[in-house]
Amino acid sequence: MSAGDNGAMTALRAPFTASALRLVVFCVAGVVSAALVLATPALLPATGVLALKVAGALDTGPAPVVAPVFLVLLAITVVLLVVLAVPAARAMGVLQRRLAERLLDRPVPAPPPRRSWRAVGYCLLKVPLAIPQGYGAFCYVFGVVNLSYPVWWPLFRNHPPGTTLGPVRALTPFGMISTRTVAGAFLIAAAGLGMLLVAPWLMRAGAAMDVAAMRRLLTPGGLAERVRELQVTRAAAIDDAAAMMRRLERDLHDGAQIRLATLAMNLGMASEKLGSDGPPPDLAEARELVALAHRGAKEALADLRDLVRGIHPPVLDNGLGDALATLASGSAVPVTVTVELPGRPASAIETIAYFCAAELLTNAAKHSRAGRVDVGVRGTEERLTLTVEDDGAGGADPDGPGLSGLARRIAVVDGRIDVHSPAGGPTRVTIDLPTHA
Amino acid sequence: MRVVIAEDAAMMREGLVRLLTDRGFEVCAAVADAEALRSAVAADEPDVAVIDIRMPPTHTDEGLRAAIDIRRDHPGVGVLVFSQYVETRYATRLLADRPTGVGYLLKDRVADVADFVDALRRVASGGTALDPEVVGHLMRAGRDTTGLASLTPREREVLALMAEGRSNAGIAAALVITPGVVEKHVANIFAKLGLPVSDSDNRRVLAVLRHVSG
Repeated sequence: MSAGDNGAMTALRAPFTASALRLVVFCVAGVVSAALVLATPALLPATGVLALKVAGALDTGPAPVVAPVFLVLLAITVVLLVVLAVPAARAMGVLQRRLAERLLDRPVPAPPPRRSWRAVGYCLLKVPLAIPQGYGAFCYVFGVVNLSYPVWWPLFRNHPPGTTLGPVRALTPFGMISTRTVAGAFLIAAAGLGMLLVAPWLMRAGAAMDVAAMRRLLTPGGLAERVRELQVTRAAAIDDAAAMMRRLERDLHDGAQIRLATLAMNLGMASEKLGSDGPPPDLAEARELVALAHRGAKEALADLRDLVRGIHPPVLDNGLGDALATLASGSAVPVTVTVELPGRPASAIETIAYFCAAELLTNAAKHSRAGRVDVGVRGTEERLTLTVEDDGAGGADPDGPGLSGLARRIAVVDGRIDVHSPAGGPTRVTIDLPTHA
Repeated sequence: MRVVIAEDAAMMREGLVRLLTDRGFEVCAAVADAEALRSAVAADEPDVAVIDIRMPPTHTDEGLRAAIDIRRDHPGVGVLVFSQYVETRYATRLLADRPTGVGYLLKDRVADVADFVDALRRVASGGTALDPEVVGHLMRAGRDTTGLASLTPREREVLALMAEGRSNAGIAAALVITPGVVEKHVANIFAKLGLPVSDSDNRRVLAVLRHVSG
């Protein structure tokens, strides 16, 4: 099936999907909301008129009392509008956001809990937005109605021959059409089908504009959004640092510290075996214990060396190129490294890039059964892009603990990570970082 | 003397087994976690258990909790808890009910084999062995700093050694003085701090610890 066929099928099917029905509900709700917005300023004066009418004040034409009453009502209306507009508009905003989330599956983040006239702006915008929405919903509903004409035509048009009948009317976007014949009924049905096919696109356009307006006016403002983002990444940075310290403590406690304690114990025993003076009481065992202590000391040194490299690989001081080359030479999978940078990024950025590459290389070696990994670092004065690509099995989960941990660390410096890893591979991870945090 | 060892680091565990066997202890069991420790103590009823505080699965204080349980369920079993760092809170939790047959030492202390073995024997026979680090923390964090300030440097040394759980003879040996001099220092300390004089070492430790830790 070609792409064109596919598109045509989608277009034909569009009106008959569950999402089309949800769109209709959203658009009708939009029209009702717009009507409410328009009616709100008139509510109080209308109530006033009603009250006067009930009281009989309007029976004898505008009496002298009526004008002052309306002046007072006008003032009260203006005051009420000023006082209640923001909370009312925000309530409307909450409702609309919920509708967008439930019906369109387009979540809009909640605004900060403070007074803002932007919600009022959204409510006012709701009025023009209701035009495409209402038009679309109209096309949909009357499209269905028109499409059904041939079905019920025989039910009502079974009069004896010769009876003169009035024309049957049908609503279309281009006005009323009427017919007296079966062929006409099919024409109306054709018009209905056309309306039905057009309706989803009209409604979608209306809904899309609505969501865009919501995103613009009902979400936290740009600065507020940025503050929230910074709070999240700051918390991540703090967590990360704390986790790092915990890991370090654990590594030292279970590694070098225990090795040194054992070493001290062995040396303590050896020195007892050697005695304080004179010929050693148990030379053979003392020798064995010293050899054990010697081995322990070497293991403790190796442990500390690994730990130190894990904290900050000294070769990173020579630049990312050398560090990545060293990293690649220690990898079980063959790795090619290409580094093309106009200058040296900030050392924090180099460190992040290095540890990302290290983690991704470990992943490639451990999970992907890759036969080859390409590590590339390219960049400008402002941005640095690290790509790690393997020919392995793919299926890496961007939300898994490893990759999401990387994403958190990268977000701290306003970087981005993009994981492309379809099942069956290959995996390509692209990390974009600023060169200076 | 029969010992159970609970230590999750294999090389330390093996070293301890070797050291204690060499020194004439009978090692009934050497285990790597608190659960195995509990069953080993229940099965063997040793004289003393050497317990690492941090063990699997959580690597926090399961050794300490096991030690407290053992002290409650097997009052005849001495408990020597040891760890790579000292935590005053752990010491007070461990000593909470009675400071007998209990010890809390830094792992580093195994390097001085004779002292370590001495401490272990003391705990096994119902005495106390507190690490000098723990005592130092307790004394610094304690309530009665004015009382402690009234002691001479020598008396403070003697007080610290008493708190560690040493007998007069042990204190005399550690400070290279005669037991008679130690007795005089002890009497002075008790008078200056207003502690009740007692003849038993255990009661003395209790009084001293209560005083220094407030």
